[in-house]
Amino acid sequence: MKRFLETGNFAITEGAILAGCRFFCGYPITPATELAEAMSKRLPQEGGVYLQAEDECGAMHVCIGASLGGMKAMTATSGPGYILYADPFGWALGCEMPLVVVNSGRVGPVSGITGAPGQGEFYLTRYPTQGGNFECITLAPNSAQEAMAMVVEAFYLAERFRMPITVLGDQLITDGFEDITVPENEDEMKEMGFRTWPRGSCAGPNFYPFTDDLDIPPVQMGSGAGGLCSDWTPTEEGYDIEEVEAHHKHAYRLIYKVRNHRDLFNHLYEKKYMDDDPDLVVVSYGTPSRVVNTAVDKARSLGMKVGALRLINLWPFPDEHFTRKAKYLTVELNWDGQLVREVQRATPKDSEVHFLGTCGDLPTIPDLLENFEKLLKNQPLERKGWELEAW
Amino acid sequence: MQYSSATLIDKYLRTRKIPSTACSGCGLGINHKVVIQAIGELGLEVNDIIWGTSIGCAGRQTFATWKGDGFAGTHGRVYAIARGLRIALPPEKKIICTVGDGDAFGIGLMHLIHSARSNCDMTVIVNDNLGYQSTGGQFGFTTPQGAKTDSSPYGMFEHNLMSDGMDVMHILKGAGATFLARHVAMDGQRAVESVKRAILNPGFSLVHMPYPCPTNFASRELGSRNQVNIYRWIKERAKPLEEADENTVWATGVWHDASGSRPEFSEHVWGSVNKIRKTGAL
Repeated sequence: MKRFLETGNFAITEGAILAGCRFFCGYPITPATELAEAMSKRLPQEGGVYLQAEDECGAMHVCIGASLGGMKAMTATSGPGYILYADPFGWALGCEMPLVVVNSGRVGPVSGITGAPGQGEFYLTRYPTQGGNFECITLAPNSAQEAMAMVVEAFYLAERFRMPITVLGDQLITDGFEDITVPENEDEMKEMGFRTWPRGSCAGPNFYPFTDDLDIPPVQMGSGAGGLCSDWTPTEEGYDIEEVEAHHKHAYRLIYKVRNHRDLFNHLYEKKYMDDDPDLVVVSYGTPSRVVNTAVDKARSLGMKVGALRLINLWPFPDEHFTRKAKYLTVELNWDGQLVREVQRATPKDSEVHFLGTCGDLPTIPDLLENFEKLLKNQPLERKGWELEAW
Repeated sequence: MQYSSATLIDKYLRTRKIPSTACSGCGLGINHKVVIQAIGELGLEVNDIIWGTSIGCAGRQTFATWKGDGFAGTHGRVYAIARGLRIALPPEKKIICTVGDGDAFGIGLMHLIHSARSNCDMTVIVNDNLGYQSTGGQFGFTTPQGAKTDSSPYGMFEHNLMSDGMDVMHILKGAGATFLARHVAMDGQRAVESVKRAILNPGFSLVHMPYPCPTNFASRELGSRNQVNIYRWIKERAKPLEEADENTVWATGVWHDASGSRPEFSEHVWGSVNKIRKTGAL
């Protein structure tokens, strides 16, 4: 193992290379630029290719092409670029092309502030393209080290599920310097819990089975065996067809290959002080979860019965964590309230679900403690400036 | 060497998709045959070519017609997909994309220009039916000036990529394309010869091939779906480059041939990667 004091972007780059990624195409955007830069330096050293595209839409399509030719590929961006992935994301979902997509969230909407973290794409990573009839997998690390692990995991899942996987970080995770350990061989990777899956190859002529089966190799161009894939509703051979029954088969596969195999990734969460049925459950993901974890430690030392649930697997949403009737508080880097809506949906009826959002900055520990106390005493959360609990 | 359609179809195309579901009298099949005939005359085999297609009449009707490997991109993006694929494919494999005018010169123009810029080895056949015909017949960016379409009921008056003094070929040449040609569907063997040169060029090649649409374009512009009228209408407006005059809409022939003048994209990228890997520098 090697230790570094480095950024999350460095960690993600090394993780991708460990997972077998040998192709990256991106478009410079803060705060994911350093990731592209690191890739431009490291990939040629490993015999891989780094390209820059005309825009993010082009970048992900170029990655699709490389994946279609049999290479493990990745692209990375921030919110304003992630929205431009909408078109290729749909193609990759429909054609079942493995890819890894990193989104380093910054505060929005639109360009917002380039150097401030944000969590405005919670729902966008669930619905990254139009049309519906698909399921998505999103992983949200909260540190540079975990970002490396989740990128390795994303490549593993992308291959097995034959689909694009989003790793959702934020500006602090990708830009922040942290202590990072990089495994140097397969044994060390296993020791760190990293798992990989080799790229398979379906040369044709069959495109897919209309089942929820995993480990179907993706279509690969180049053998001449008649491999087909397209943006249209496919037949099992990959021909385009305008028939509702064929579409049912396709949609069933795109949704249920994920929903029926959640056991492959639903262990990705962290619970703190959750064993004694806490009166208040604080739910978060990504960078704010680090503030929450510290605040919950402090709250416990002050005698408050508070627990913390950190989600790493965001989508499909892990409803199983929310079966208990309790008070819930979500802490998010947005003011409109996104995670809170999903928590409210997943919790039993009459559960109290509260929201604390920040907009471009992080919550502070005193702020969190004050709000924990109020909620435990059944007092309403106060309005501060524009910060409303209403969402 | 002469090929009958049956021989070409038997060797290269999937009978499941041929004949296509194109409208009666559509000229796309002529263009398609020109490309297949060029492939046949070059002696290429099914597994030598990966076929890319796009959205619209030209893309939908040619998708999965090639017996070998084929993919269809979302609207305008096939050129970006082909660039990534080019990196992953062995250099001897050829990529041919049959696309429409809206796809190449409208929504996909930026991706097209960057594929030309990088001199990525692909042959793009732009089957131009003079507008967006699969959506019912709206004007596109190479629709002749004054043409009446569903979205230009008074005649198309916007400047476009075929207006006086402007031509999409100039843009592509400036962007770095190493082979450019234009032929109308009825150019026959002249078009086949240009497509052969396009396929052989180790870099970015594009052949612009306007073809007749009797169903939508002709019915609005000429007031009739009579196929003879629209075929004649196009033929009257096309002339070889050296004979073109002020009434020529489509000057046909090879517009630009800089084959071999600069390195091909994937060869250049892989050469650079291998050098960096070995020496740590370029």
